[in-house]
This record gives sequence, structure tokens and C-alpha cells, in this order.
Amino acid sequence: MKNEESRRFGEEGSEERVTGMLGEAASRLTPTGDPNWFAERVLAHGTDRLFSCPSPLGEVYVGVSERGVRLVGRAASPEGFVRRYKEHFGRLLSWGTDERTRKLAERVAAALAGEKVEIPADLSGTTPFQQRVLEVVKGIPRGEVRPYAWVAREAGSPKASRAVGTVMANNPVPLIVPCHRVVRNNGTIGSYAFGAEEKVGLLEGEGVPVGELAGSPYLATPTTGLFCHATCPNARRIKPANQRRFRSAKAATNAGYRPCKVCRPVVSG
Amino acid sequence: MSMETQLEAANDRWSSDPLARRLADGDPAAPRELVELHHTALYRYARALLRDATAAEDAVQEAFERAFTALGKYPQERIKGLALRPWLYRIVLNVVRNAWRARRREVPVAEMPERTNEGFGTVSGSASGADDKEAWMDTLGALRRLPERQRVAVALRYFEDLPYAEIAGVTGWPENTCKTLVRRGVERLGMLLDESDGKNGIGGR
Repeated sequence: MKNEESRRFGEEGSEERVTGMLGEAASRLTPTGDPNWFAERVLAHGTDRLFSCPSPLGEVYVGVSERGVRLVGRAASPEGFVRRYKEHFGRLLSWGTDERTRKLAERVAAALAGEKVEIPADLSGTTPFQQRVLEVVKGIPRGEVRPYAWVAREAGSPKASRAVGTVMANNPVPLIVPCHRVVRNNGTIGSYAFGAEEKVGLLEGEGVPVGELAGSPYLATPTTGLFCHATCPNARRIKPANQRRFRSAKAATNAGYRPCKVCRPVVSG
Repeated sequence: MSMETQLEAANDRWSSDPLARRLADGDPAAPRELVELHHTALYRYARALLRDATAAEDAVQEAFERAFTALGKYPQERIKGLALRPWLYRIVLNVVRNAWRARRREVPVAEMPERTNEGFGTVSGSASGADDKEAWMDTLGALRRLPERQRVAVALRYFEDLPYAEIAGVTGWPENTCKTLVRRGVERLGMLLDESDGKNGIGGR
């Protein structure tokens, strides 16, 4: 066999010569650019990025796509979070070692520490209804709360209070979309994916008078004839002597008050 | 979809790799390591198959991106069983085949294959003598003049040192076909190199 091959080459040792030259050529070929830059480019396109971040709920992991924050959660290990992310979105997560992710991580840390920083959220994995609801909730300011019925109406589905509750329970980006600021229609705090106690703690940390809200989520004043959600900035300006508390928007309208145009309480019926 | 199933079929033949296990477990440091570990080999392989350094870099980048996209969709168990290196060669081959197809649409067949005279991405010790440099560039040029299947088989055998069983796995061709392609490719390379030696007057009688 060996002889036959050498004969076919016509020249003795020709095969060895060719394979030797191939080996030489192979050893000469190395990528030209900066390997770190190449790795970053590939990871930026092929994977989503991961970082961890301190938050009022303790350390959370944050998974981001090219569009923005896609998943926020607690996990026993980064691996567990990466697997959860992959199950939801079908993408791998790699540590966000790139400049863009580092900058976003700083902004997220600032936002979770209570600073007013806009964070892009990628809600592309959710249904159109979920997106509308989450966008509405994203706009509820720190220090304020809104009832489920209000979120439903603002999202364009006034009868979908219960569905809003489900969207909150499955919020992929808690804290970024502050679902803890959505409470029961009677002003009690309601449930939370991380537990009701965590929800109370978060709201108290943001300055929400949790105890006062229960049973009287609306405040009115005879000076203007308006009623508000109790955490609306307008409600907070009402002098204690003028405060009139209501357990429902209906009770407030029955008493002759009109809804505030800033916080737009839902008046049903 | 069809690419994924092809890749799957190619992978059953190899045993798993510790990095595959870490990718499956969700280690967020593993994707970068995959790139760092295989970048050079995949680039070398792509350079053997494509015309120039830029095309090779692009092909390798696209291959890694496809690999990550696929890994995002594979169940954990399937990732655990992957033999990553041959799997990646296979993806590069798919990317390169697309590049070949695209090029065939652009360039009249008669003009192929083309002599390469682009600036080469050189290397440590490039001061090792002009003749030396000439020789390996000629080898690379001659390799690119082989028919595509011979080029693929020869590159996997002698650039990447894969055994024939793995070459068969990467390409999907029977092992004996791979052996024949390598033998014929090396034979033809010998002729092409003799030819160019003759022309250049180097190393002739």
C-alpha cells in the first residue's frame, strides 16, 4: 500500500514532503486581530449577558439582551439563573464583561438603589397584553402605589383586573418593572412573587405608608373637591385637617368628589 | 432546523467534553472559554477553505454565533453529550459551504479557483526568511486549488490532525471516502506544488 502510494506520487517521499508542508502552513496560520476583542464580538452577538447586582431584595442576577433587561431574579447560583433564562428565552448567558453591559450594570444598580434612572427592558418574550400591563406598571413612580383595576384600565382592558394579577405574578423583570407597587383595590398590599413580607418591606423602604393605605386607599379634600390615590403627590399635599379618607373610588364619588386628573382613579359604574 | 439535526447526527460518535458539561450546567464563564479555546483552530481551518483572512474571520465569527444560538435551544442533556471541537468544525463547514455557494453565484465558474495574493496574516518569526514564507504560502494557495471535498478532507487531516473517523463525523461522508479524498488531495497537491516550483525555478533540478 505504502509502495503503491509512493509510486503514484512518482517521486520518492513526495507524500511526506506535502504533508510536512501542510503542517508548516498550518502552524503559520493564526488569527490576526485581538483575541479578546474577537471573543467580545462573538459573545455580544451569540449570547445574552449576565451580571449580578445588589438590590433591596438582596443580590439579584440580571440577564440582558441587546434590547435591554430581560430577566431579574434571585438564585442560589449563577448557573441556576442561566438555566432558567435559557428555558424561558432559548439563549445562553455569558458574564457581561463588555463595556456596554458594565455601563448598564451601573445604571441598574443605581435604579435599584432608588435613583431615578431609566432602564431599558426587553419584554419581547411576553404577550401583547403582558407588555401593555408591564409598560403601565413601569411608569408607577417610586413612593406611589396603584390598584390592579387602575393598571387594567390604563392598559386598555378595564375588566382585566384578575389578569393583571397574573401578569404581576409572572413579571420577568421585578424591581425594573415595579410590580410591588401594584396593590389590591381595597388598599391592602396583596401577594408578591418574593413573598408579601418582602413587598411590605420594599414599599416602606420607598416611603409608602403601608399601614394607612389598608382600607382607605383614597384621599379627598373639600378645598378642591378632588379625590386621589392616597400616594398621589397631590394627595400628599392635603393638610391633615382637610383629609377625607375613602375605602373605594365609588364611595368618594358618592360623597361628591371628582377624580384627580394626575393619578386618574378608576370610577366604575 | 436541518442544520441542527445534521449536527446532532455528527455528534453521537464522540464522547463528551468537560466544557460541554459546564455549558450544559449554565456556567456563565463557559461561552467565553469555548471561544478562547477553539478560535485558532477554527480560523486555521477556515483559512484552508476560504480565500482570504477576512472571509475566514467572518466565517469563524458566524460559526461561533450559530453555535451559541444552537446551544441556547438545545436541552441540557444534549449539550452535555456534545463533542465540541468536531461539532464546531462541522458548523464552520456549513458556514463555508454557504460562502462557496454565494461566491459561485457571483463569479463565473471558469475563473475559479483563483490565485491568492492577498496579504497574509503572519505570524511570530516572520523574519525567518523569504523562501520559507513563500513555501507555506504556496502550500496554502495550492490547497485552495483542490476540489472542495478534497480541500475539506485534507485540511481536517493535516491542518487539524483529526483521525479519519472524526473527519467522517464532521463531513458526513463515509470514512473510506474521506481516506480516498485525502489521498487524492495530497497527490494533487504534490503535482500542483511541483508545478509552481518549476515555474518559480525554486527547488527544481
